[in-house]
Amino acid sequence: MGYANSDHGDAAPLAVKILIAGGFGVGKTTLVGAVSEVAPLRTEEYLTHAGVGVDDLDGVDGKSTTTVALDFGRITISRELVLYLFGTPGQERFWFMWNDLVNGAMGAVVLVDTRRLDVSFASIDFFESRGIPFVVGVNCFHGVRDRTQEEIRRALDLDPQVPLMLCDARDRAAGRDVLLALIDHLMAVRTSGTPHSAT
Amino acid sequence: MKHWTEGFDDDDAGESLVRPYTITGGRTAPERDDLTLITLVATTSAALPGNGRDRRKMQPEHRAIVALCERPLAVAEVAAALNLPVSVTKILIGDLIESGQLRARPPLAFAQAGGTPELAILRAVRDGLRKL
Ligand SMILES: Nc1nc2c(ncn2[C@@H]2O[C@H](COP(=O)(O)OP(=O)(O)OP(=O)(O)O)[C@@H](O)[C@H]2O)c(=O)[nH]1
Ligand SMILES: [Mg+2]
Repeated sequence: MGYANSDHGDAAPLAVKILIAGGFGVGKTTLVGAVSEVAPLRTEEYLTHAGVGVDDLDGVDGKSTTTVALDFGRITISRELVLYLFGTPGQERFWFMWNDLVNGAMGAVVLVDTRRLDVSFASIDFFESRGIPFVVGVNCFHGVRDRTQEEIRRALDLDPQVPLMLCDARDRAAGRDVLLALIDHLMAVRTSGTPHSAT
Repeated sequence: MKHWTEGFDDDDAGESLVRPYTITGGRTAPERDDLTLITLVATTSAALPGNGRDRRKMQPEHRAIVALCERPLAVAEVAAALNLPVSVTKILIGDLIESGQLRARPPLAFAQAGGTPELAILRAVRDGLRKL
């Protein structure tokens, strides 16, 4: 693939990223770890500094600053392409303060736990409102499949075009399949032009 | 298990900030704002030992980054390896780009525009994932 970039030649591959989102404890880190070629890495960011563009020291010793941790993994696709998976911190209201997390994401996987669907509502709202394409992975904790996909869709008020699939976040093949579903969805979106049917 | 949002309002939330910003000489914002979590950075030949740059102003963290990035790494990976917050890491990486010891490959423009990547990239990712 010829990614012309006169500054850098082909010294570095191209990086792309996918967000792994969903409420507290739905299996985000587990999924990242299952598909990543390295154990999930962890890093932190100062939230107030990240989003609002700090150009002085005011926030540094103040109470307005906090750190959030995110974990991420890496899949080397080819010599030219590296995919990063970012397990996003649970509370979407903080993402607005952290543009770098969301900017540049190809799309997202929203994980849900059928016993606690509500904890992932905010993630779904977030991606819908931003027009970021996503798929929903139903993490089947302990093999629990107590609801049909149709019931889950209805409970999540999911647009019919958004793919939903069952998965086991601990399983590499299952995690890979969720990511593949997202890529297929992105291809469909690219062809049709909209991530979700207009409402 | 303690969730990360716990303690969001803690009074001592700022304490851990002192040491990281000592490393940056008190700077809290990078001079360049184009570095992202997945900007890939790699050491240049100018960073090789003996390529007479003034290294005395370099912090140990700068040297660590130069050594790490002999193979291209994302900004987030550098931050994780150094156990430093992303914004601090960006400042240090910015220094090294400035001095010519690192070069950066930014992610594609679709990123900023909020669009979808071109099919060639999607296909490449798909083919790579299938091999997992
Ligand atoms: N039985 C079972 N346990 C799982 C599965 N996925 C995750 N777990 C467990 O559920 C717990 C939470 O998983 P994590 O991957 O840490 O969830 P998370 O979404 O990263 O959690 P936070 O980052 O705290 O929001 C862990 O103890 C996992 O081992 C699954 O598919 N089946
Ligand atoms: Mg987690």
